[in-house]
This record gives sequence, structure tokens and C-alpha cells, in this order.
Amino acid sequence: MFEAASYESNLLARASLDSCVKCTICETQCPVMAVTPLFSGPKYVGPQAERYRSGLTVDHSLDYCSSCGTCSLVCPQGVEIAELNSVARAAMKKGHTPLRDQLVSRTSLLGQMMKPVAPLANAVLANRPSRWLIEKTIGIHRNAAMPTAQRHSFSDWWRHHRPSKAPTRGKVVYFHGCAGQYFEVETSIKTVEVLEFIGYEVVCPDQGCCGLPLQSNGLFDTARKYVRRLAEQLNVEVEVPIIASASSCVTMLKHEAHDIMGVDDPTVLQAGQRIREVSEFLLSLADAGTLPGDLAPIHQTVAYHAPCQLKGQGMGKPALALLSLIPQLTVIDAEATCCGIAGTYGVKKEKYAIGQAVGRELFEAVERINPQLAVCDTETCRWQIAAATGATVVHPISLLHQAWGLDQD
Amino acid sequence: MTDTIVVGAGLAGLAAAIRLAQGGHKVSLLTFGLGGLPLGQGSIDLLGYTHPAGSSHPTADDQAVADPWAALPGFIAAHPGHPYALLGTDTIKASLAWLAELLPDWLLPSDGVNHLVPTALGAMRPTLLIQPTMSWPSDAKSVAVIGFQQLKDFFPELMAKNLTQTAQVSAKGYLLDLPARDQEVDSSALRYANAADHPDFVSRLAAMIKATIEPADLIVLPAMLGLASLDPWRSLESTLGTRIVEAHLAPPSVPGLRLNQALTRLAQASGVRLIIGSKVIGYEGEGDCLRGVTLHQAGRDQFYGADQFVYAGGSFESGSLTVDSHGLVHESLFHLPLVGLGGDRPLIDGDYWSDQAIFKVGVATNAQLAPINPDGQIVWSNLRVVGGLLPAAVRWTEKSGDGIAVSSAFAAATDLLNQTSPKKDN
Ligand SMILES: Cc1cc2nc3c(=O)[nH]c(=O)nc-3n(C[C@H](O)[C@H](O)[C@H](O)COP(=O)(O)OP(=O)(O)OC[C@H]3O[C@@H](n4cnc5c(N)ncnc54)[C@H](O)[C@@H]3O)c2cc1C
Ligand code: SF4
Repeated sequence: MFEAASYESNLLARASLDSCVKCTICETQCPVMAVTPLFSGPKYVGPQAERYRSGLTVDHSLDYCSSCGTCSLVCPQGVEIAELNSVARAAMKKGHTPLRDQLVSRTSLLGQMMKPVAPLANAVLANRPSRWLIEKTIGIHRNAAMPTAQRHSFSDWWRHHRPSKAPTRGKVVYFHGCAGQYFEVETSIKTVEVLEFIGYEVVCPDQGCCGLPLQSNGLFDTARKYVRRLAEQLNVEVEVPIIASASSCVTMLKHEAHDIMGVDDPTVLQAGQRIREVSEFLLSLADAGTLPGDLAPIHQTVAYHAPCQLKGQGMGKPALALLSLIPQLTVIDAEATCCGIAGTYGVKKEKYAIGQAVGRELFEAVERINPQLAVCDTETCRWQIAAATGATVVHPISLLHQAWGLDQD
Repeated sequence: MTDTIVVGAGLAGLAAAIRLAQGGHKVSLLTFGLGGLPLGQGSIDLLGYTHPAGSSHPTADDQAVADPWAALPGFIAAHPGHPYALLGTDTIKASLAWLAELLPDWLLPSDGVNHLVPTALGAMRPTLLIQPTMSWPSDAKSVAVIGFQQLKDFFPELMAKNLTQTAQVSAKGYLLDLPARDQEVDSSALRYANAADHPDFVSRLAAMIKATIEPADLIVLPAMLGLASLDPWRSLESTLGTRIVEAHLAPPSVPGLRLNQALTRLAQASGVRLIIGSKVIGYEGEGDCLRGVTLHQAGRDQFYGADQFVYAGGSFESGSLTVDSHGLVHESLFHLPLVGLGGDRPLIDGDYWSDQAIFKVGVATNAQLAPINPDGQIVWSNLRVVGGLLPAAVRWTEKSGDGIAVSSAFAAATDLLNQTSPKKDN
């Protein structure tokens, strides 16, 4: 049986299942169903099967849902399909979550463990026999994309960082996320430098994990603790926006903590209202005419992939409009639904091939448009695209950083 | 600053957004979910049936319209409040020509008359703009209708039997044992279309057809011969040396998905900012000038300002018209005045087959498609209402929904473009 509180908090999502008119639109857009018959699809495991659940599992193909959220985005009747499925999957796996899922859900822990031994960790992860062993013992596929451990965390940099100029337009709080702390340190640094360059004073409190990987692996209890703690930590300078460069963690705060895990905590909801994806924030400044315009040209054509978690925020693809401000830069929307990693889905032994098949169109688009350089807002998606194509895959902020001439410093 | 906001990404919203963007406006297209295109038949209806004089009910005597342009003046005279009456034949004609030019890969240019295209049941349905795969050769005498055991929405024998009457042909049904993938025993037409996008599947299909069917003038297959392009259809036709027509199925509709995909890509390529997945829940304005709308995004509600607005929210089926527990009908976003409520018939009567009066309820507009109140005064001068929200049409029995969507979107966009010279970005 599933913990009562969580199931009840799901009542609103459950109520939405009655709005399903069986139009099949969600099925036409589901990226997993398109590549494997193992998943019976969002309509079937969502509004249809949910009728028969009262805390009990009725359909195990649900485990093949990657939680990308595309179904909820495209449903014209407002059925909270992905949310229903996430809760049902958590109920199904409760009490028997494999060690592997527990491990990949703890990005901070992995980062902390790998940092002191970064070269060794990277060597182990690049080594075929050891990856084979990891696959056999833990169940992480031998070819799955893995982050590169860094010797210095973002906090190491931040502690010694002094802004190069005085602020001209107030403060923002910066949220780096676990990957931004340990693996994607450069993206975090560039985000801070851009925010400071355009005149903000950046405040960066000590902060932990948002709990998203735990949530997507069904470990709701711990995930709730994590997200509450994070909201408390970010609860400084309450009048100013929280800016993040980790778009999936933004999704967690904006709506998944509430819509999937039933977290009603005012501090969490308030953080969800204040938080902005950095491209979203910069585009709103550009639309208001207050973004510095002196961007140097970048003579490149690149593919852009909007991650599912970002699309799930229902604000379109702000990076596309933002990057169009850089002269000579041609950004082509790869128009792929999903890269196939879906957080930690695509690293799992039994799902790796599905993840690769899901991402194939995107990989081909990257190879066609520019096999050297591509752009994407979420780190796990960047690792996936990079591993599959060999391209360097950067956050949109990297190109702005370059165009504003900040790369040389 | 955004010049124009379009609400709703059905056929009407997509068409309006594309025309405005191609005319130089900066367009944001805000839509809750996908519109109705993936559910439709993938051709463009203008006027398919008219009732005999004096009948408001569809009956067995309904006339399939052969030449819609010839029928339109009479139809307009008989339906004074109809969107077609508001727009006039010239605008409607220009709009459909414009759409066909926009989608040269997917729609054949009109030859001015309705085509008869087969449904999955073997009815021949009148429609104006067709995809190349839908053209029924009038000289076909013998037809092979081919389905798949694993595609359970299509019954070749039933269709074949009906075609003998509806299309006056001799027809025979065949069921092939060809899964769309792996060992899947129950696949949708979309999975077959995904399979057909790979040439090896088309070769296997061709070989199986050659080995199975008796010679025929024409092959009918469920609509699944390609989603990325129509190359699978072309290659199968040339391999078999026989003409092939696709029959559209219940949703998911592959031809409908083709149009939805093509128009969405075109909108984005024209510079439209597409924001999907959030509902527009409110608005602000002063006097008769709308200033902006509120989008219910994840985390918070966000205000989007603009100079001009197009409302393409559909109708009851997409929630922009609703009926409350008192049986009262509302337009759910801008609370616009409605027409069609005060007739002598009840809004919903007990006759299942009748054109229920409620379906003719819609937003009252002037000839420019700006919403008006009962005194004829404009409610919002910078808002245009298009598509399924317009009153006085029963879109599915008339087969007029596509035509209304395209022509009203075209007219509204043209009008808005004429009113403003595009603003320069700074
Ligand atoms: C059962 C049925 C059968 C039909 N058969 C035919 C036929 O045979 N021939 C024919 O020509 N027509 C037919 N029609 C009509 C035809 O489908 C529509 O008229 C046509 O598709 C035009 O659609 P539209 O663009 O106006 O709206 P839709 O395609 O419904 O799109 C409306 C869009 O607006 C969005 N939206 C609504 N409110 C909001 C909001 N507040 N915020 C954000 N987004 C919002 C919705 O999510 C949706 O994406 C049929 C309709 C139905 C229901
Ligand atoms: S898109 Fe929404 S309404 Fe349509 S089948 Fe899926 S859940 Fe049901």
C-alpha cells in the first residue's frame, strides 16, 4: 500500500482524469511509445488505468514511462497525465527501489564522492571493463553518459569570487543545483558572470539538492525533505527573483513538488513563484528593452534542444528568442521531443536502448546541423547528447557569455 | 514588444499566426494543448453538405455539394448569420488558395470542385483541398482494399462492401499479417506511419501486396503511408505500378498529424513564438482596448502584453465555450457576448440526429470579426475572434469547420496587418 497522505494529495490530479475524451493526442506525441511496444502509452496507463487504482498497481508497463511530461503538455483537456503516472509509479515501486535507483538519485552524494578523486573517478567511468562491472553489479548501462567529475566545485570558486564591477540594478539569488555545484561548474560560473555583467548583485546561499532525481525514482519521502530544505535555504532576499541554470530543478520548484508530491509548504510554493530559468529571466529583460545590446557576433550555426523539463514549465522556449539576439548566430530548433535521458531513465541497463532510440532524431539533427557544437539547457540532456554525437553541448548562457566578451577574463 | 498574441493553436490559430508573422508582425501563439488538427481527416472542407430547403436537420436527403463555389451564394443567402456570410466568397476563395500555396508538399492546388474521398467505412465524403494521397481516380473499376491484422481500426472487407455502392466499383478486402514493429499485435495507424517512414518496411509491404492480391485498378490502404514525407506513398505506387489512395481512420489521424506538424513548423520558421501547455486565464484592458492576457504558467501567472489579439480558442470541444450547471452558455476567457441563445428551439433537444441549437451558439462579431455586444458596439477593438468560436454553423454536418477556420483567420490577420505598419525591433 502507498502512503495515504501522498495518495490523497493526488486527488486533484485524479479528478482531471474525468476530462479525458480519449482523443489520443497524448499518444501521438509520446516519445517512448513511439519507439517501444513495452510502454502501453500515456492515455492507457494514465487516465484509463488510474480509474482502477486505489493505491494498488494495475499495470507494470507504467515503469517504462520516462516522466518526460510531454503528454500533460499537449493534452487539450487538462488531464494531468504525467503527474498521475509519476505518483502511480512511486506507489508501485515503494519498498523495493533498487540500489541503483537509490544511487543515481543522489547527485550531490555522487559529486561529493567523486570530487576528491576526480581524475580517478573519470578514469574508472571511461574504462570499459569497469563499466561492464558496474552494469553487471548495479545496472547502469556500460555506454550510458556519465558526468565528468571536477576537482573544484562551484562553491570553491564562489568563495574566492569578487564581482568585477559594482551592481547597478539590485540583487538576484542564484540557485546552481547539484550538477551545477559538482559537474557543470563552468555553466554556473558563467551564469553568475553574466548576471553580474548586466548589473545584478548575485547572492548565493549554501544550498542542497531539490530532490528531483529522487522524485522521478519514486523516493518521495526523501525528495520532499530535500525540496523543503532547499526552499528554506533559498528563502533569503525574499523580494528578489531566484535565477537558475538547471532547468529541471526549476521545474521541481515551480510545480512538480506540488503537483506530483503534494508539497503544500508555503516556503516551497513561494520559491516556486520566485524562481526563473536564466533564459526566461534574460528574455523578459530583453522584451522590456533593458538587456545590454552590445553582443559580439558569433559566426556559427548550432542546433538547440529544449529539454522536456523546461517545456513542461509552459513558457515556450525562451532560449530560442534570446539567442536570436546574438548577431550572425543561427540557432536551429532541433524540434525533438526528448533526448531520451529523462533524468536518470536513459542510464538504466534495461532502458538504455529505449533512451537511445528516443534521442535518435535529435542526435541526427545535431550531426546534420553542427556536429561540433549544440545547445541545451539541462545538464543530463547535454551529457546524453554529447555522448551520442561527440559534440560539445553547452548551456545557452555560454553563448551569451561569449558574445558579451566575458570569455577572455 | 510583442505585436500580436494569438490564443489557440488549432487550424484557425496556426493560420492566423503564420499570416501575421509573414506579414511582419511579432507573434506569440499561446495554446493550452494541441488543437483539433490531429483529430481531423487531414483534408480541408469548405462546404460538404446542404440540407434540403426548409429543413434544419441533416437527413438522408442532404445534398453532397459537388461545386462549393456555385453552392456558396445560395448557402450564404439561406444562412445570414453564418461566418461565410460575414466573410463573403472572395475572401473565402483567397484564403483557401493561400493555404494551399503555404503547404505545397501536403495539399494539392484546388481545381475548384469538391473531391470525394473515402472514409474508413467506405463512405465517399466531399472535401475541397486534399492531400496527394487522397485523389480518387474516377476511372477506377476494380479496387483492392488492404488492411493489417494488427491495425484494429480498419476493416477492409466492410469498406470494400460499402465501396461497391458508394463508389460504384467492384472491390475486395485483404488482411495482411504485417506488424508495424516487433511482435506488436495492436498498433495504431501512427505506428504504421512511423514504420513506413523507413524504406525497408515499404519494400516488405510491397512484396506482401504483390504476393497476395489479385490485379486491381486501385489499391486503398489505411492512411499510414508516411508522416515525415509522402515518399513512402510515392515509392509504393511506383513499385507496384498501381495507383494508391489512403483512407483516413479514427484518431490518431495520420493525415491530420501531417498538417498539424507542417503548420506548426511553418509558424516557428516564420518567427512565431510558440508557448504550449499553459492556459490563458485572464486579461486586462481599458475602454475598448485590450492590453494583455494572463497565462497560467508553472509556478506563477504571467502577464503578456500586446497591441493586437486573435482569439482562436475553438468551441465547446476545447473548453472556450462552456455550459454551467444552470444550463447557461459562457465564453470562458473574455466573457464575450454570445448569439444563438434566444431561439424558439431549446438549446438541446431530444432528437439525437438533429442539428442541436446549442452548436450554433457563438461569439457575436462584426464583419471585421471584432466582438460586439447586443447593441452592435465593439467590445474590444483590437481583438479578432476566429474559427470554432464563431456562431451559426454546424461545422461537422455542413463540413464547414475547416473553411471557417482558414477564412476567418485569413480575414482577421489581413485586417490586423492593414491596421498597423509593423513595429521595428530595437
Ligand atoms: C466531433 C467533431 C467533428 C468535426 N467534424 C468536422 C468535419 O467533418 N469537417 C469540418 O470542416 N469541421 C469539423 N469539425 C470542426 C473543426 O474541427 C473545427 O471547427 C476546426 O478544427 C477549427 O478549429 P479551431 O482552430 O477553431 O479550434 P481548435 O482546433 O479546437 O483549437 C482550439 C485551441 O485553442 C486552445 N485554447 C482554448 N482556450 C484556450 C485558453 N483559454 N488558453 C490557451 N489555449 C486555449 C485549445 O487548447 C486548442 O489548442 C468537427 C468538430 C468536432 C468537435
Ligand atoms: S490527450 Fe488528454 S484527453 Fe486526449 S487521450 Fe490523452 S489524456 Fe485523454
